[in-house]
Amino acid sequence: MNSRRIRLPIHEATLILVIVIAYLVLNGTSSGTLLSEAAFIGLLGYLSLSIVIGFSQLTVLAVGQLNLAVGPMGGTVCAVAAVLMAKYQLPVPIALIILIVLAVALGAVNGLLVNLTELNSFIITLATMTVFVGVQYGLVGTSTVSSYSAALKGFGSTNIGGVPLVFLGVLLFAGALSVFYRKTRLGRRSLATGANSQGAFLLGIVNKRSVLVAHTLSGLCVGVAALLVMTSASGINRSVGGDWLLLSFAAPIIGGIALSGGRAPVLGTLLAATLLRLIDVARSTYALDPSWVNFVIGGVVLVTVALSELRRRTADRRVRIG
Amino acid sequence: MAGLGLAINARTLINRSNAQLWVLASLVVLIWFAFTLVDPNFANSVFVTYPLLRDAATFTVVGLAQMTALSIGHMNLAVGRMAAVAAMVAGISFQFFGASLLVGALLGIAAAALLGVLTGVIIVVSNVNSFIVTLAMDFLLVGFVALVYTRLTTAAAFTVKPDGMKYLGRASLADICAGPVCGPRFMPMLLIPALVIVGYMIWIYRRSRFGRELIAIGNSMRASAAAAIPTRRRVIQAHALSAALAGAAGIMVVISNGAATAAIGSEFMIPSFLGPLLGGTSLLGGAVSVIGTIFGTLLTFVLRSGLTTHGVGLEALNISLGVLLLLVLSVQSFSRIRGQMRMAKARMVRVRASAAGSRR
Repeated sequence: MNSRRIRLPIHEATLILVIVIAYLVLNGTSSGTLLSEAAFIGLLGYLSLSIVIGFSQLTVLAVGQLNLAVGPMGGTVCAVAAVLMAKYQLPVPIALIILIVLAVALGAVNGLLVNLTELNSFIITLATMTVFVGVQYGLVGTSTVSSYSAALKGFGSTNIGGVPLVFLGVLLFAGALSVFYRKTRLGRRSLATGANSQGAFLLGIVNKRSVLVAHTLSGLCVGVAALLVMTSASGINRSVGGDWLLLSFAAPIIGGIALSGGRAPVLGTLLAATLLRLIDVARSTYALDPSWVNFVIGGVVLVTVALSELRRRTADRRVRIG
Repeated sequence: MAGLGLAINARTLINRSNAQLWVLASLVVLIWFAFTLVDPNFANSVFVTYPLLRDAATFTVVGLAQMTALSIGHMNLAVGRMAAVAAMVAGISFQFFGASLLVGALLGIAAAALLGVLTGVIIVVSNVNSFIVTLAMDFLLVGFVALVYTRLTTAAAFTVKPDGMKYLGRASLADICAGPVCGPRFMPMLLIPALVIVGYMIWIYRRSRFGRELIAIGNSMRASAAAAIPTRRRVIQAHALSAALAGAAGIMVVISNGAATAAIGSEFMIPSFLGPLLGGTSLLGGAVSVIGTIFGTLLTFVLRSGLTTHGVGLEALNISLGVLLLLVLSVQSFSRIRGQMRMAKARMVRVRASAAGSRR
């Protein structure tokens, strides 16, 4: 029976349930402040950034690759755009276009290096990460570059009826990404590479192209994330991007990506990013130590990973019965 | 015939790795002389060479921790944080239980090893890439260690020093005398534990069955399982050993810094890979070089300390380390790809020859 109904997979449904409960509990214990419009807009603004950071890792994980450099890449392109606007008085749109193009190019460089050396993407992006950390520091040093358009900085809080414009933009981006993996030939082929590269090779799929596309797409996501930073941060310094790595892995993993690749749970990543954002909100609501966030997220990821084999086994059984 | 080919291959492999070792060692010496020529202060034994060697000793142990994980084709991204946990446990035992240096150090290393066992078990049970598991472990421990320090300390450090710790962190081999002849001033005392560990690792990988089996697993997990190697147990043990070594490095940092802080280990990741990879350990598993790890680490730290004494900033340092890593990786993988092509060509020739023979 091939049902054409749109069904919500059990994993995503669970995530939604957890998010709703967590939100209600948080809202209840903080005497309703979370539902106030200002808090809600702030939450969605930060959430937009978390989601796109999750996507920047999702796109590579789906092909069985990974990108350690997401944070420093984002920090570097932010620094370039900020310096161009502040020091060289470049108009905002041109600087932002340069930012996106540069991010895509850096992603492509990662992909090319992986293809050229035929090595694990981990070690390649570890090396490029180190380089980008250096470049970002070289650009901004210990200062904060902030003398650029105030309209750009305030754009992040522009909203329609309590929903920030940037959040709507991110939802559109997520939709496009989902369509890419579900409907386009390039997307399907990338997933085939991620699921089984030898099988994909035998089907005539050029795995190196999938890898290049994945890293370039990751670069694009980093660019979008950097754009979001530019529209909300009050300035760019060396710490921008420093805390992206954990989030970038946690969101897709909790979102249900098969860790060996071959799936791209866009919705799951989006929901997981929401959950992770709520953990941060909980921390600030209860005035806990910031280390709790790392601790809790690391623990959740570890448990998800440990349970993934169990989940795979039950899934196998279900397939065999059905 | 096939046996002969294998023997020849094995011999060329050994010769090549020896050649790489010589190149590496002479590179270390050359770069050191170059820095000394430009600035004679670089040869200053007390202010430059002593800390250089002390860092190199610690980071050689860090490199060996990563090498152990690499030997089975895995990685350990949590090296830094396992070191932090060992440092923390040692610090707590000094501060609150008045433990001696040896007891505290052993407790710390044991705690790290326990984490290694946990990591190994999760990897074996979940069948998930070691990269993801150790990364998640790293995040968990970052939070955990920071939490413990904020709960238990006010200055974010355990500062109680047991007897001998201050001495061990400052002393040099000049304190060891055989009659009238004393050791050199520029060699830190911490070289001794590092060399003991190096000797132990050489013994493991050259002489022990355990080490051989780790290499076999790194070459082919399935072949090893077929050869009745208990692969799952060995994977867990390899991660435990890797974690214990990371813990030992953490203790060495505590000794040279004089305090246990949450920041210990945060700088471990890149050097942990640079040392073994420069020294000829394969990223894909199945080939290790303990001596190479020493020289790889030395090269990194001679470069780093040379650049910093010449006033090169943090940014250039990072960039040069990253580029160095990329260069090493490219050279290694190009020679590997060329080797594969050469083997494929040789196979073609053989096939053609046998075809010609059968035709006749």
